[in-house]
Amino acid sequence: MINTLREILEAAVDRLHHQVTTYLPSTLAAIILLLVAYVLAAAARWLIYRVFKGMTIDRFLRQSGVAFLLDRSGRLRATRLVAETAYWAILIGGLLIAVSAFDTQLTNQMVEGFVLLLPKLVVAGLILLAGAWLSQYLGRSLLVWAVNENLPSPRRLAAALRIIIMFVAVVVAADQLSFARNVFLAAFIILVGGAVLAVSLAVGIAGSQGLRRLIEEKKEQRDSEGERSLWTHL
Amino acid sequence: MASITLPHEARQAAEVIRRADIVIGIPSYNNGRTIGRVVQAAYAGLAKYFPQFTSVVINSDGGSTDNTREAVLSARLEDQHLLLLNTPLFAAHRLSFPYHGVPGKGSAFRLIFQLAAKLEAKAVAVVDSDLRSITPEWFDLLLRPVLFAGYDFVAPYYHRHKYDGTITNSIVYPLTRALYGYRVRQPIGGEFGLSTRLINRYLQRDDWETDVARFGIDIWMTTIALAEGFRVCQSFLGAKLHDAKDPSSDLTAMLEQVVGSVLMLMQEYESVWWDREGSRPVELFGFRYDVGLDPIEVNVERMLAAFVRGCRDLGEIWAVALEPETYAGIQALGRQAAAGARDFHLDDELWARVVLDFACAYNRHRVAGGHLIRSLTPLYLARVASFVIETRTLVPDQVEDKIEQLCLVFERLKPYLKAHWDGPSRRNRASRKPESAAVPKPDSEVPRHD
Repeated sequence: MINTLREILEAAVDRLHHQVTTYLPSTLAAIILLLVAYVLAAAARWLIYRVFKGMTIDRFLRQSGVAFLLDRSGRLRATRLVAETAYWAILIGGLLIAVSAFDTQLTNQMVEGFVLLLPKLVVAGLILLAGAWLSQYLGRSLLVWAVNENLPSPRRLAAALRIIIMFVAVVVAADQLSFARNVFLAAFIILVGGAVLAVSLAVGIAGSQGLRRLIEEKKEQRDSEGERSLWTHL
Repeated sequence: MASITLPHEARQAAEVIRRADIVIGIPSYNNGRTIGRVVQAAYAGLAKYFPQFTSVVINSDGGSTDNTREAVLSARLEDQHLLLLNTPLFAAHRLSFPYHGVPGKGSAFRLIFQLAAKLEAKAVAVVDSDLRSITPEWFDLLLRPVLFAGYDFVAPYYHRHKYDGTITNSIVYPLTRALYGYRVRQPIGGEFGLSTRLINRYLQRDDWETDVARFGIDIWMTTIALAEGFRVCQSFLGAKLHDAKDPSSDLTAMLEQVVGSVLMLMQEYESVWWDREGSRPVELFGFRYDVGLDPIEVNVERMLAAFVRGCRDLGEIWAVALEPETYAGIQALGRQAAAGARDFHLDDELWARVVLDFACAYNRHRVAGGHLIRSLTPLYLARVASFVIETRTLVPDQVEDKIEQLCLVFERLKPYLKAHWDGPSRRNRASRKPESAAVPKPDSEVPRHD
């Protein structure tokens, strides 16, 4: 009885010893690596804030409208963008190295999977960013044009265009990540097909008269402008 | 200087003519009805006032589908003996070419200026082709200050109907005056006299393919002359009456091109206007007289409807472009207009703030430039409607006083412009001295280009 108990205890201690000797160094190494990565990331961010001026990129960010897209106040600066990117890149790199310190099949698969996924994540992120920029730009173009041309529901028109563009961007990004590819593709086809059908029906059944009225109104407006055409704005 | 790329036929014509002291440029697009008379006036003006000079009349056409070019080439000066006391020493040449590139008045001017430079002209006058009130005296008034008084830029000064030239009266004149400090009353008038020196400066620039190629050309020419210290004066031309406007011409596009050019040049000449305060008159030549003007009908309800639509739908742009107080003021006016108020009034202070806020938003790229300026259309129409309501019973002199008051408000708000120009992070610049501000001295005669 005592022998059995001793054997069990010894086995437990052996297992604990084995686990401690197997995982503790890896855990300690992982913690140290994470701390080092954090310090390096923070240092890199601090250094970039101090050294990097980024005037040209700042101008590009402002002129392209990306600055206002990412930060509604428009105060996004290249320095901040680069510093934050470097900070997170170093931190994630440190995390991956820390995880790989365990050297198990599971951690190796995790690291490998993440490394393989990373470029696709970056590309997908850029696609979404480009989609967001394009949807805002074209949405505003349509909005201003529709208001100045006195078209009905300008905001709804602009919102619909924005949704369509963002949806296309999400489909392309999902395709890039091989994420629910068929679901998104099917949804996209159904949506586009449905939208085309709805517009066709709307124009064909109910909209033709409205469209005719709109065209007539525009014509009347033009004609009346012609009558008082001695007025020039310049 | 930028390389001169004249079309083949224009180059050939220039080689035949070789030299001309005076060039008269007439841009056109489907102006067959009026351009013949403009050419006749040019011929008569040249023969009557400049018989000792060699001259050429150039029509730069944007691909007219009517008989514009034929009208130019066939226009004859009839009843010469009634007009002329002396015989011209040289017959004026006459050329008509289609221009290439971006369709618009600016591209037409570019061809005229290139030919003038090639012909080594001493003075150039440009006039619109839709004018009904043009007389031979206009050419004397536009060319004489350049040929005999050493001026580089002669701007027109007309009597116009109180509702005519509303972009000029509500935006371009007050803003240009407040920025550059000179009271050029018709900065986008359309008729100008120019020296060789100024023509060469224009041709040196590389922004001909921008809005300058279209309606932006007039303010571009005026601003360069004012900002770069060329000698500027004005000539009184009488009344400006023109042909019926092309109904297809789009107000939003026109506003975008003109205001876009003003704002683009504002950025370029920031160091010039930064420290200029107040304004001073610019020399005015010609005998001033009163004239009768065509009545003009304006539809105020339609303008206010456009403004109400803008208030309802363009909030996402205006809220970013305008300062919070300005935006609140506009929204309040929008509610008033929507309720159908008969005494709608967009006051000078609020309107000036709107224009200056848009200028700052353009400079800070708060919204894409095109969206920003196109979204100004409903606000501009609100201002025009307010102006029409306000001046309905006023006589021309009283209307001119109202415009003068608006200009003074723009001048008074210049510190506001400087404080918001670069955004909150750089507002301390408002107190700094510019590097190269050419500040006009109050007692100096005219701006000089040295």
